[in-house]
Amino acid sequence: MSTNNPTARERKLSLALLRKFFSSMALRILGLAVVDAFAIMLLYLLLRDGVWPIAAILVLTTLVVNVINFSDRLIPLRWMSPALAIIMLMVLYPILFTVYTAFTNYGDGHLLTKIQTIRRISQDTYLPEEGNVYHWVGYRSPEGDFLLWLIDEDGQAFLAQPDKSLEQVSPEDSQIGQLDNAGFPLNVEGYTRMELLDVIPILDSQLAPLEFGDPPLTIRIKSIREAAQLKPRFEYDDEQDLFIENITGTVYFADESQGQFTSSEGVSLNPGYQVEIGWRNFDRLFNSPALSGPFIQIFIWTIVFAFLSVFTTFALGLFLALVYNDPTFPFRKLIRAFLIMPYAIPGIIGILIWRGMLNPHFGVLTTNLVNIVGWTPGWFTHPIWSKVGVLIVNLWLGFPYMMLVCSGALQTIPSEIYEAATVDGAGVWQRFRKITLPLLFVNVGPLLISSFTMNFNNFAVIYAYNEGRPPIPGTITPAGYTDILISYTYRIAFESGRGSDYGYANAITIVIFLIVASITLVQYRAMGTWEEISENV
Amino acid sequence: MNKKYFWFASLLIIFSLVLAACGGQVETPTEEVVEAPPEPTEVVVEEEPEVEEEPELVELVVWADELRAPIINDLGNQFANEYGVSLTIQEMGFGDIRDQLAVAGPAGEGPDILIGAHDWLGQLVSNGLVSPLDFGEKESEFLDAAITAFVYEGQLYGLPYATENIAFFCNKDLVDTAPTTWDEVTALAVDLEAASDGEVTAWIIQTIDPYHHFPLTNSFGGYVFGLTDEGYDPDDVGLDSSGAIAAGEWLQDMVEAGHLSADVDYDVLHTYFTTGKAACIGTGPWALSMIRDSGVNYFISPFPAGDTGAGRPFLGVQGFMVSAFSENQLLAQTVLDEIFATEEFMQAMYDVDPRPSAYLEVRDSTDDADIAAFAAAGATGYPMPAIPAMGSVWEAWGNATSLIITQQLDAADALADAATQVRTLIAE
Repeated sequence: MSTNNPTARERKLSLALLRKFFSSMALRILGLAVVDAFAIMLLYLLLRDGVWPIAAILVLTTLVVNVINFSDRLIPLRWMSPALAIIMLMVLYPILFTVYTAFTNYGDGHLLTKIQTIRRISQDTYLPEEGNVYHWVGYRSPEGDFLLWLIDEDGQAFLAQPDKSLEQVSPEDSQIGQLDNAGFPLNVEGYTRMELLDVIPILDSQLAPLEFGDPPLTIRIKSIREAAQLKPRFEYDDEQDLFIENITGTVYFADESQGQFTSSEGVSLNPGYQVEIGWRNFDRLFNSPALSGPFIQIFIWTIVFAFLSVFTTFALGLFLALVYNDPTFPFRKLIRAFLIMPYAIPGIIGILIWRGMLNPHFGVLTTNLVNIVGWTPGWFTHPIWSKVGVLIVNLWLGFPYMMLVCSGALQTIPSEIYEAATVDGAGVWQRFRKITLPLLFVNVGPLLISSFTMNFNNFAVIYAYNEGRPPIPGTITPAGYTDILISYTYRIAFESGRGSDYGYANAITIVIFLIVASITLVQYRAMGTWEEISENV
Repeated sequence: MNKKYFWFASLLIIFSLVLAACGGQVETPTEEVVEAPPEPTEVVVEEEPEVEEEPELVELVVWADELRAPIINDLGNQFANEYGVSLTIQEMGFGDIRDQLAVAGPAGEGPDILIGAHDWLGQLVSNGLVSPLDFGEKESEFLDAAITAFVYEGQLYGLPYATENIAFFCNKDLVDTAPTTWDEVTALAVDLEAASDGEVTAWIIQTIDPYHHFPLTNSFGGYVFGLTDEGYDPDDVGLDSSGAIAAGEWLQDMVEAGHLSADVDYDVLHTYFTTGKAACIGTGPWALSMIRDSGVNYFISPFPAGDTGAGRPFLGVQGFMVSAFSENQLLAQTVLDEIFATEEFMQAMYDVDPRPSAYLEVRDSTDDADIAAFAAAGATGYPMPAIPAMGSVWEAWGNATSLIITQQLDAADALADAATQVRTLIAE
């Protein structure tokens, strides 16, 4: 018995160890190995495609995940690591990419990499004046050599082999069989004629790269029926990094600062390629005529719009919350549910409904206004009334949120304070000013700030309501009275003569972020006072 | 501790190998398509292709919108299979094709063939996304203007299948014959308003959408960009040319005389026409079914004339293009040339969405009087400028027409401002 016990205990112990091992360590290793294997495969694909920024982030993320899982000190982080990994890949990477792109010329005309651009420009061909066009039929030997029978515009027939001189032939030649109606032999000695179905699968991969006849006027296959003495339009010089145009002899140098092949006369080839251009996007923004134009006016309206949007929605929301907070109000729950409707309907639909109601020709609101008052404002054409219109629409969209938030916050104010105030002889207004408002701000203050920030960049409302219109007359670039900063810069970035300029747009985004961030910071500073109030209470 | 790492490393290697093996298998078929291995040579000695069982088809990917995808898939494939080609259709919104190509093309995941509008060319060519094409004599089977529209910087980039343009619709119950000059439009407005106590007017137009203003502009000699032999010249902005200002002043006169209301958008425009409150409007084939359904007694005619001739609309052309990133460019062009550029295919494309065909035989044989009228109105149309600079024009020009119609600026000032804005944007 005494001899058996240790082994039994040992067995039990090892079993427990084994179980423990499999339950945690083994599974963890297994999981990590799977994750890492996928990461390695992805990394291989990314490196193959030359997308090194994503590859770097991937390596970093995978390393962090591994370290967290192997270190015993970082156990709490273990459960967070999937979320952290996703944050790094889906939040951090896009931000870094935005910043990086702001320093490039990425956009229309500069979408491709330089290698792709060179390949694309090298594809262009032209038919020189002395060049001939032929109809062709192909023949193939058992060894896989190709032979073309060419008939030119004068009806002359030629035999062509890759990289060899053309050979003028007549059908009487011994190695040539019978001709078909179009004048092509049914077979050539040692070769088999290729019909359509033979040609199609190898047209681009095997036939297109071949050159027949003597340089410099070699013959290339141009289509399934025609071959021609095509020449490449541009010749790339690897060492000097330039293109020479074969027709005119013009030289196009690679201009690395612009990402384009440009001649000395300033003519550039399409397409250009991506390059890093340093601070030039920012220079362009700060020197843009659009900035010296209506910028100040638009900036002021942006702040006014954001402030009034928050103020009106908060005022109405608070008022309704106070009214329906009174338990004696009949049907208050039903009414409150109805009032939340604008919040439940997708915003864009709400805006479209308002557009319809305000339509000057058929709108319910406007036609009734005309019938009753005999006048209606130009909701979409008048400089002031269009601003009022967009504020009304934004009020409609925003007040239910404020009502919800205030209803909740009102519950947190202890009723004893009100009782004490009533005993001290405070009136309704005094109680609201001195108790409700300050205590409410403690709770909803941060929400008001985030609401302000959101409205500062509320592109959707502005654009869906009237696309920033009506136009401001006489501006240097198009601008509208209801344009806010973000919709105005959208115009600058995407309606310039160059098409969509993503690098520039990203530079603008960064500047707007800095503006919004600093305004928000200032507001949070101001918020500190409210926190003091709550401490004193 | 060491054991832990040992397990980890060995498992990692195993999984990597497994994945590598799987990856290899996944990649093989695509490589096969790209490289298209040589067919066994002994097959075609006899001229009986049906002897082979199911020859391997070369796959071409086609991007098309939801209207045309079924036609290309059915009829297109029926023809293509005879050539040993199979067309794989990827359906997407017409407007999305351009943006998607910019992403998918360079990444090597784009189509071989795509459909699109000719005015995308400026962007597509400057981005190096499409390849030049050449259809030789076949080009003469197409409307000249449609082929020309697909020429950019001297090279042809597309095979057109349809053209679209706006035409002048009038309500037969309100006017017997369409006004032939803009002055007649004014006179008609005076008559109709007097007869209906101001309820019915002669003509309305979108306040902001300058696409519909173009026939008016050029009938007085105005233009957007000067047209040279090499296409539109972005350095010659004509929004403030004397003709454009003359057209703007005619518009201003209409507004000041109370014949033209502001705040008209697409819906308002068509509602006025279909309810008989406006005798004439300019609109395109996209509104045809709506106008037919409304039961209004309409007829279609060319645009009225100004000082320099009848108004000429913008001509938009839709067609097939070949991606510059296709591995099968000659084959793709062959498909366009031999399969798509045939009467049967072009007729099917017309039937699925009636617009004037770019293929002459189909265009001329239409028995739809409205489509024929659109074709006639578009016969003299100007191709919509495809140059990227056109992107700077719409907003500035639309603002100008809006400022004129809402009487905030005189025509000359509004158009001068617009031209300045366009020049600033192009120079920037």
